[in-house]
Amino acid sequence: MSLKDLTAQASAAQGYSYAYLDLFAKRELRRRILKAIAIPGCQIPYASRELPIARGWGTGGLQVTLSLVGPESVVKVIDQGADDSVNAANLRRFIARMSGAETTTDTLKATIIQSRHRIPEERLKEGQALVLQVPDPEPLRSVEANMAKAREMHADTDYGQMWLTLYEQLVRYKQYIQGASYPVMVHKRYVMSPSPIPRWDNPALHQAQHLTLLSAGREKRLYAVPPYTNVYPLEFSDVPFEVEDQTGRVCVRTGAQNKFMNELPQADGSSLFELSDTGYADKLVAHDPPGATYYDDQGNFYHDGYLKRQP
Amino acid sequence: MMDTSSASPSAILPISLDAPRLIPHQPLVTVKGLVKHYGRIRAVDQVDLEVYPGEVLGIVGESGSGKSTVLRLLNLQEPADAGEYHLNIPQVSPRNLLELDRFQKREIRTLHIGVVYQHPHLGLRMYYTSSGNVAERLLVTGERTFSVLRRAARESLAASEFPADRIDDPPAVLSGGMQQRVQLAKAIALKPALLLLDEPTTGLDVSIQATVLDTLKHLQRETNITTILVSHDLGVIRTLADRVMVMQHGRVVETGLTDQILEDPQAAYTQQLVYAKL
Amino acid sequence: MYIATKGGEAAIQQAESLYHQLKGQVTLETVRHIEATMPYLLDRVMGEASLYAPELAALAIAQTGGDLYEAVLLLRAFRSTQPRIAYAQPVTPESMVTVRRISAAFKDIPGGQVLGPTLDYSHRILRLDILDNRQAPAEEEPAELPETPAEAVYPLLADWQRENGLLEPLPAANPVEPADIPDVTRDPIMMPAPRAHRLQALARADTGGVLALGYSSMRGYGLIHPTVNELRLAHAEVMVEHPVTGVPFSAGRVRVSQAEVVSKDASGFKIGFAATLGWNEMKLIAASMLDLEMNSENSHPALSEDFVLYHTEPVESSGFCIHFKLPHYVTFASSMDAVRRVQALYRGAKATATEAEEELSS
Repeated sequence: MSLKDLTAQASAAQGYSYAYLDLFAKRELRRRILKAIAIPGCQIPYASRELPIARGWGTGGLQVTLSLVGPESVVKVIDQGADDSVNAANLRRFIARMSGAETTTDTLKATIIQSRHRIPEERLKEGQALVLQVPDPEPLRSVEANMAKAREMHADTDYGQMWLTLYEQLVRYKQYIQGASYPVMVHKRYVMSPSPIPRWDNPALHQAQHLTLLSAGREKRLYAVPPYTNVYPLEFSDVPFEVEDQTGRVCVRTGAQNKFMNELPQADGSSLFELSDTGYADKLVAHDPPGATYYDDQGNFYHDGYLKRQP
Repeated sequence: MMDTSSASPSAILPISLDAPRLIPHQPLVTVKGLVKHYGRIRAVDQVDLEVYPGEVLGIVGESGSGKSTVLRLLNLQEPADAGEYHLNIPQVSPRNLLELDRFQKREIRTLHIGVVYQHPHLGLRMYYTSSGNVAERLLVTGERTFSVLRRAARESLAASEFPADRIDDPPAVLSGGMQQRVQLAKAIALKPALLLLDEPTTGLDVSIQATVLDTLKHLQRETNITTILVSHDLGVIRTLADRVMVMQHGRVVETGLTDQILEDPQAAYTQQLVYAKL
Repeated sequence: MYIATKGGEAAIQQAESLYHQLKGQVTLETVRHIEATMPYLLDRVMGEASLYAPELAALAIAQTGGDLYEAVLLLRAFRSTQPRIAYAQPVTPESMVTVRRISAAFKDIPGGQVLGPTLDYSHRILRLDILDNRQAPAEEEPAELPETPAEAVYPLLADWQRENGLLEPLPAANPVEPADIPDVTRDPIMMPAPRAHRLQALARADTGGVLALGYSSMRGYGLIHPTVNELRLAHAEVMVEHPVTGVPFSAGRVRVSQAEVVSKDASGFKIGFAATLGWNEMKLIAASMLDLEMNSENSHPALSEDFVLYHTEPVESSGFCIHFKLPHYVTFASSMDAVRRVQALYRGAKATATEAEEELSS
């Protein structure tokens, strides 16, 4: 397959490199990604390129996807769990135009899944790469705003102040108040921000079959969780980490329960709920058997004993 | 608060609140030839000292004498220009602590040294809870059980005679005396081998000074923690220190038992100091 | 090739069509007109994009309907696709064809105060007569052609000051392979930043952001009272080596501008510097002051290199700002969960007690 063939497939991309980025940019990104995989959870700085999409809208994730994608790839893009969100649709169009890759809404068929702020409900497998878009890669931001000092703290494994923040939350509010972006300890060495995925999705990073790559374009850092890596939320041994409570929530579209739901306020003051993962919901509606999920229908996580407090 | 009893130099007296004690063991802290320049100023100029286990060594001098610099160097906060510093405890290797790398220094500071500064904002996070300030010491060593942290913080603060119903107040809303108690609780949280006090009561109201000094004295006698106390105030030295070292212009002028130095100073400078204050 | 199409895509298409409809078509004429009549707009955009391409800058401005942040993004995104084929030789201020060169430090300087093209001394009055249909607008007085042409190049005032011991001598020359020069568009930026990164970042910085931070320092947060030592608007030759013969030749000429400011310290003067593609005086004066101020030990954010360089990045700042329009409902749901838990606890909804919970409730 010649370069001409490769670029011919990207029909609207006259004059651009395959997958938009030039060769040197892609090569540098791949090297950085390898370094990130070699040091799980460690933020690796990279020279983030500008793309035809505004910063803050997924350029970090996009650069990673563009450096991984090939003509044989199958790409799924979601935002808040939805394939049809305007942002996801926009990114998916761009990737397809620039690479000629096939796209899908089926989690199990995708080889690359680029996602803003959610992990799909169906379990990902070996050979799949999950690319998470990250606004702020620095988990220590709330205790140290200065990037250089935060880097030193990571290098020294100096996380005392981070733990202190959790202690303070327990003293003041009697529980952890972090919503999404709940910090985790990766491979017993680095504290990492998992990106603003809900707490519900944090456990999916632990001992996963798939590779997770996280990239912040604006802040110019990327990091990784290789397959079969230990990822634990920061918690005290006697005050367990808890995921969002989905008890009693039934998806109005599919009847599903014990998966992450979007809350839809109603005019009469009540709320309805629907599955956030639209690809999964579509399968249920079409009576297509979905893959094994991270949480079963009773809400139990598939790694026994990982979540200490379950329904 | 004058000590009226006196001890015979060679007897080992039972531990009481008032009698100075002689301890015939190996020194816990040995410092030789300590030097620190700031540009052309020799802030610390060939200082030697020894402190024995359970003893309180006072360092007295006017401002500019170098006494606070000595304390900062012993806390491994700043690099020294020359000298040897040994802590004779089993967990610490016989190496010169001044030559350790920053990671090792941080470890020593965390596990084996407690410090109370004159200004609370140097030693405390003013807007976190007081109990959190104390708990952080345990967090840094890897304690991950919340109830253990709470208990340890409570106990440390109680030992510093800090009111139990205010342990979750941030230091920013506390009085000066209370802030010093939080510092003290934080300093002793991990039961370190060495306690460093840098003008711990300077700047406090006179009546508060007395109560804080009282707490320091009780704590030191009960826990027998080896202490180095820096102060320009002879009254504080007299209350707490077993031995005292007088400094001037970065050098040691005289060292000896507190009572001897204060009753019968030999060096001219010490005489000036003592007679000017009394 | 299957592209999954859902409701969202149709909405995007329609939204774009509506936008173009309201804005009107972009024609080649519009682009040429902008290029010919709005040089300062072009220069600002080219400077912030760090891409000297007047035609493309005019196109970007026309295409975005004048939204400067979008225009800069378009140009930077285009720049990402261009490979680097050569390194130009360094441009020295003394060798640039300088059309404007002034100093506030002295009444007169070697080479003279060259006003060049400027409106500094004009009255800021709207030319309403241009809008009047009934008669042709009055034309501006043409500039007179002098008998002897002005100098093309001028010495640096700072060199005179260095010779007179008022400024520190320049550090010894340390030649670096062009490919080894730190490049903020190729390397990740880390603080403290190498000088090359700092100057490049200031060259590409958002004019408004640099102005705001520079202003805060001028107004009083800064420790100094700076003086504009020298401000220059010039044309620089881009000299490149021929790949075969090695002979240097000019690949073209670009507009560049630079500013130096000085301030007094105990033993002499310190100097701050900034330069950029295109002519943008205001940004350079503010940027050179920030260059000077970022070295002081003051903890004020506008004086910290970290704060200044991160927050004056036009593409990063504008992109992140508008990203808040994106759906955030999952993160919001997570926050609602946390809030609801705390509210429930304070309403006394919890029943069982472990030792930890006793601690928590004490």
